[in-house]
Amino acid sequence: MDRRKFLKFSAGGAAGAAMGASLACVHPFAHAPAKAAERLEIPTTCEMCVNKCSVIAVVEDGVIHKLNPNPENPKSRSMLCARGNAGMQTVYDSARLKRPLIRVGKRGEGNWRPASWDEAFDFAAKKLSETKEKYGPQGTLWSSTESFQEVFFQNLGSALGSPNLVRHPTLCLASVNLAYSMTFGTVPSFDLLNSKYIIMSGANRLESFITPDTMDLIESAEYRKAKLIYLDPRFTVTASKADEWYPIRPGTDLAFMLAMLNVIVGENRYDKEFVANYTVGFDKLTEHVKQFTPDWAEKETEIPAKDIVRIAHEFSDAAPRAVYYAGRRSSWYREDFHTRRAQAILNAIVGSWDREGGMVPNGKIALGEYLFLPWDDPTAPRVDEMDKNFPLAAKGDGAYLKLRENVIAGSPYPVKAWMVHKQDPMNALPDQSRTLQMIQQMDFVGVIDIQMSDTAWYADVIFPESTYLERTDPVEVLSGIVPVVVYRQQVVKPAHDTKTTLEISQGLAKRLGLSQYFDYTMDQWVAAQVKDLPLEMPLEHLKKHGVYVPKDFPKYGSTLNPDHRFVTKSGKIELFSERLEEAKYDPLPVYHAPAQPPSGKFRLILGRRAYFTHSSTGNNAWLNQFAPENRLWLSPGSAERIGISDGDMVEVASTVGTARLKAKVTQEIRPDCVFMLHGYGKKAKWQRLVAGVGGSDAELLETAWDKVSGNAAMHETFVSVRKV
Amino acid sequence: MQRFCKALLIAFALILVFALFPSAHANQKGSENKGRFYFRQTCKECHTKGAAGGEVTPLNKTMAQWRAYFAKGMHNHGKEPLSKYLPADQLLDASTFLTDHAADSPQPETCGK
Repeated sequence: MDRRKFLKFSAGGAAGAAMGASLACVHPFAHAPAKAAERLEIPTTCEMCVNKCSVIAVVEDGVIHKLNPNPENPKSRSMLCARGNAGMQTVYDSARLKRPLIRVGKRGEGNWRPASWDEAFDFAAKKLSETKEKYGPQGTLWSSTESFQEVFFQNLGSALGSPNLVRHPTLCLASVNLAYSMTFGTVPSFDLLNSKYIIMSGANRLESFITPDTMDLIESAEYRKAKLIYLDPRFTVTASKADEWYPIRPGTDLAFMLAMLNVIVGENRYDKEFVANYTVGFDKLTEHVKQFTPDWAEKETEIPAKDIVRIAHEFSDAAPRAVYYAGRRSSWYREDFHTRRAQAILNAIVGSWDREGGMVPNGKIALGEYLFLPWDDPTAPRVDEMDKNFPLAAKGDGAYLKLRENVIAGSPYPVKAWMVHKQDPMNALPDQSRTLQMIQQMDFVGVIDIQMSDTAWYADVIFPESTYLERTDPVEVLSGIVPVVVYRQQVVKPAHDTKTTLEISQGLAKRLGLSQYFDYTMDQWVAAQVKDLPLEMPLEHLKKHGVYVPKDFPKYGSTLNPDHRFVTKSGKIELFSERLEEAKYDPLPVYHAPAQPPSGKFRLILGRRAYFTHSSTGNNAWLNQFAPENRLWLSPGSAERIGISDGDMVEVASTVGTARLKAKVTQEIRPDCVFMLHGYGKKAKWQRLVAGVGGSDAELLETAWDKVSGNAAMHETFVSVRKV
Repeated sequence: MQRFCKALLIAFALILVFALFPSAHANQKGSENKGRFYFRQTCKECHTKGAAGGEVTPLNKTMAQWRAYFAKGMHNHGKEPLSKYLPADQLLDASTFLTDHAADSPQPETCGK
């Protein structure tokens, strides 16, 4: 670490003091022991992404030497991805948050002073109490993303009386979850390993997320010769491995799906017995899809009609070992929910449900619970007015963009204090200037995180959390085709003055008069969770193995009984949805042609690479080296037209912001689109590898959301590009 | 006098409402959150897999069936009142929890929970 260079980023003595604290770096090998090292192998659970793989930490004399995969977990098997391997950097990263910090100077200047925990707790509790006093508990907002200790943070917000808890799903998979829940009453897994025919719309599974599930796809496609059809405006790694790649016109995937339905229904290629026994609304679907012919879809999608017909034939022939994969990708368009519904309906009518190689309802394992009498319900409605705006969506998650707009408008009431748990809304939400506006109108912003995110950069107080290798968490069930229970246990002592989220919540609760809801230890919480697992000594098993795998999975066909009741209004799989109709939405998927970029502009499309988890791992030195900066992809024709060569610095502009980054001129993208990786162009200078490096998509994206789920629509922005 | 008349009028209106809508209490909403606690703490004592009462989850009944069950207010195949196990306010919370999570209730799944 070049101390001088590092300090250069800070301005002022206060900042210097705070940054100085961060220089007390612990190098994993700095404490080389003179005597023989005590070597431990401790099973735990990764937290570098959402997959929650099981890992074994090799610890020598209290220092993590290496992370290895834990073959006992069938979900993660003998594999640990790049992010998983780089996880130990979270402990030893010199730029991590090491002690509580209180802002000095203006928000965003980056000046901090170290504080004791008592001081930080007192400061935050005073601000939260003042806000509650002045605006009611609904004046406080609690944002979080999935993590094993998220429950404690959420409980604190609820116990205070706030209805305004907002989670990440409307920046993630809310449209998928809602569409599949509305159709099947649940969100299934996809049995890719045993599929013979897989269609993916932009779910760039072989590049964006490399986990054992990805290996299933490779095994299936490469070795078992399943056919992979891939639709994407960009030639991705998944495209390179697919049997057929179609650079579909952006936003028209629904037209492709409706035409497939037209062929499969019109030619009686659906599974008649399955449709009769398990679905409702097929007659209405039949009438509805007559209009969506392959010839019509060709004009919309630019995929030849004969290919649509052939793919529909092949798909129905391969069923039930055929899936239109929902994938891991966020919403892209305002109609995303209906696209996902059409996808679900396609899978349903060919009978790819609860059968090997199709969709499989997730196996689950019941956990116990540490019981305590909860708080009173909030008296105020949510600030995002979910009941009015998204009546069918998961209310507890909220709708992030609508929430932001209402908070900025102060409608229906003011929200003036914002607590953020391990989330970076500055980068996760489109239109960063609006997020900044939301921050600036807050009387108080507190952040819990392990690193200086851009949101933390604008906070008033920062609570440093112990990393996943330094703490024990509640156990979690990973539902799936083979569900498992995973345990995250402390591997090393905290390297710095950090705390767990439970401890942080308890510290604040004590000062807010809410201790009765946090009167337990992590050990008590975990003991209550595992007591009924069918193991002789469940906790000891988890400590030793890190995972519990029940023996009776995978199970196929448990719902294939005509008397089975799906968790839907009708009790059947709902091709036509009365509940959608009652809520004034289209009960069957209806196509609305997306707007196309005006002359001289491009549609901005986004994506991920498996080195990075959103914006949270860009500053991890071991990962950053794989992609030190992002570039703007544009086609050779487009580049020539506006006088741009490969490597030129360009300015990208939308109606809400601009970004500067280098151009990558490539044939691997449609001429009407440009592409950039997410997670660069950070504001927080402590993230020195990505601060001001490359461009931030969050600065460019305009505010738009899916109408039914409220999910942010990430591909609705048109941009201009010029050389600078 | 005017105030007395006003109060009388309001009281009369309330009596009329309850007379016309006797099911108003049945539609009262309790706390789903607390109901979950009471259900777990009390009902689950006997209503788990392999226990004396057999497993009961919200998915055992539809919303209408749960409403009818709590309107009747009887437990153990009509042999004893539900109030033997939970007081009225806690029953309201438990019924809210069970109805909100019934087999035909709208309960979309979410990420990471």
